[in-house]
Amino acid sequence: MEELRMSGWKWTWPPKFQKWGARERRNFKVGMFFLLPWTIGFLVFTLYPMAASFVYSFSIYHPKAPLEWVGIQNYANLIKDKLFWQSLYNTLYMVVIGVPLTLLASFICAVLLNLKVRGQSIYRVIYFLPSIVPTVASTILWLWILNPQTGILNTLLGYIGIQGPNWMSNPTWSKPGLILLGMWGMGGTIVIYLSGLQDVPVTLLEAAELDGASWWQRLWHVTVPMVSPITLFNLITGVIAQFQYFAQAYVFRGSHGLGFPLNSTLFYSVYLYQNGFLWLKMGYASAMAWVLFIIILICTILLLKVSERFTYYAG
Amino acid sequence: MTTYQFPSPTKTDEETRRRLRARKIRDFFQSLFSHTAINFIGLFFLIPFLWMVLTAFKSSQDVFHTPPRWLPYDNVRVEVNGEQLPLYNVQTEEGAKQLVAVKIVEGVGTFVDPANPSQQMDYEIQQGATKIAEPVMHVYFNWRNFPDAMERGSRPGIGASFWVYFKNSLIIAFFAIVGTLISNTPVAYAFARIKFPGRDVLFVIILATMMLPYQVTMIPIYLFFNDLLGWGNSFLPLIIPTFFANAYDVFLLRQFFRTIPEEMCDAARVDGASEWQIFTRIILPLSVPVLATVTVFTFLWAWNDFTGPLLFLTSPKNFTMALGLQDFQSQRSMIWNQLMAASVVFTVPIVIAFFFAQKTFIQGIKLTGSKE
Repeated sequence: MEELRMSGWKWTWPPKFQKWGARERRNFKVGMFFLLPWTIGFLVFTLYPMAASFVYSFSIYHPKAPLEWVGIQNYANLIKDKLFWQSLYNTLYMVVIGVPLTLLASFICAVLLNLKVRGQSIYRVIYFLPSIVPTVASTILWLWILNPQTGILNTLLGYIGIQGPNWMSNPTWSKPGLILLGMWGMGGTIVIYLSGLQDVPVTLLEAAELDGASWWQRLWHVTVPMVSPITLFNLITGVIAQFQYFAQAYVFRGSHGLGFPLNSTLFYSVYLYQNGFLWLKMGYASAMAWVLFIIILICTILLLKVSERFTYYAG
Repeated sequence: MTTYQFPSPTKTDEETRRRLRARKIRDFFQSLFSHTAINFIGLFFLIPFLWMVLTAFKSSQDVFHTPPRWLPYDNVRVEVNGEQLPLYNVQTEEGAKQLVAVKIVEGVGTFVDPANPSQQMDYEIQQGATKIAEPVMHVYFNWRNFPDAMERGSRPGIGASFWVYFKNSLIIAFFAIVGTLISNTPVAYAFARIKFPGRDVLFVIILATMMLPYQVTMIPIYLFFNDLLGWGNSFLPLIIPTFFANAYDVFLLRQFFRTIPEEMCDAARVDGASEWQIFTRIILPLSVPVLATVTVFTFLWAWNDFTGPLLFLTSPKNFTMALGLQDFQSQRSMIWNQLMAASVVFTVPIVIAFFFAQKTFIQGIKLTGSKE
């Protein structure tokens, strides 16, 4: 939606309702020539795979055997599949707890980085740097940090008298561990918030200050509403990303099976991968993919609808 | 003509001074609070990063030292008869002495005096609760971990080391950058500058593909490359799709192309330039900053990608850094110093790119709203 608004998109009638002149015909040909890479890519890597996976989702499909049409059986089996519900629960945990926590934390960080502090640019680099560490490297690093015996986190917690949990092997603490890992790499979100904060008109803040508003009141009544479109953008992209959460969970189990410990890190995409590529139940995995698509679509539309009341667009 | 008259000050000097003092105190505490917060949270970002680098320099025993120490420590070694042997503080009958351990078997160490290497003495390392012999340690950055890790790799002996993984990652990233630049620029140009019927409908479709989760198309694309074309276990399935444009880069480039003055293109058109000439001679030379952004982000994406290589690359000699590192971790999860050394090597190219092109990074994130 943000993209649509920014692109200045306007509705025009489909081509067949217009009378094409010679110039339009020529432009159409030239335009289509320029679009060729995308058109072919769209047909081969988007449209065909969508159609194919839609068909697979209604069949039992093993790559070495012919396709067998089974109607809605895959979808019916999903409802009865305990692991499917477990993976959905794990994913929702990350969406409902992880995303808002990360948004709040990155907003606080952006506010701090926007203050006039000595060495501001150095702080900005420090806050941003972890986000460019490759996912696999940062996940392995956090496996090492969260190591219950020799890890640095539990050692530091020990100094202030807290007995740290067994992060990776305790099913209660594995997901919070992953959220911590996500928060370490939230530099991108902080940068987006920071650019939003810099766009808040100084005149508004000064006017509020003259009216006697405290620092907290200015933040809550001026800054927060002014960056609400950015919050919405970060929220939607965050939710979509969390529903597709895969690489971190795949690496985080270490040398154990997928979902270790006790299926607590068996996220939706991990279970989908397991079905499709380890058990070669390609039809079942395709059905899962379509359910995921519909869930993401519904969540996005819901967020857009609900946010209409909470989002403020200046101008 | 009326002139505005400021109200005459009603407060006494004493009151004004008191207010100023209160304000100063409040400002001081606010600044104290914000400095504390920014430093404290900064530690959360900084410490893991430092911990990665410091662990990469530790010796294998030092990694498991409890409680963990910040700096890497190693035995002080002395050359005796052409061998580097660890130095110990030993409580001998004649008092404390610094001796060199030749071997340690079942708690009994064989020591020699470095000044007189021919005479061997046996001491128990520990008697009850008292340590008889303690190794002499010093801060030592064991850089050997880096070549060791790089030569080792996850599956030694079959031509798969981290050097190979590093090379594979570079090859894939290079072709991904070439493909992305070649394929996205003309598409973005058509959307930005050529007016043709149906363009806006197509642009909505291209934006809509951003909403489609990768999982929906993943299985047919895998079967297409792997079974139909037989390109499994090669770089082609990772490289070829980048030659067919993607929504993010098209959008990013289009937004930039639209900022280039239309009059320049129109003037060229009047002079008889074709769209292709306008695109290659006017638009592209003016778009170097955004092309840099696309290059950096494609490199980042290709370097970081885990799912693609996981699906398509099966034999270790074709692994990328991401896949190789994961494989190494799942095979030998306890060699933390070498794991961290490999992670550092994996991260360094990106950090270097960041310090060379800081503005490009930040600009790219603001424009695309983070690619992941």
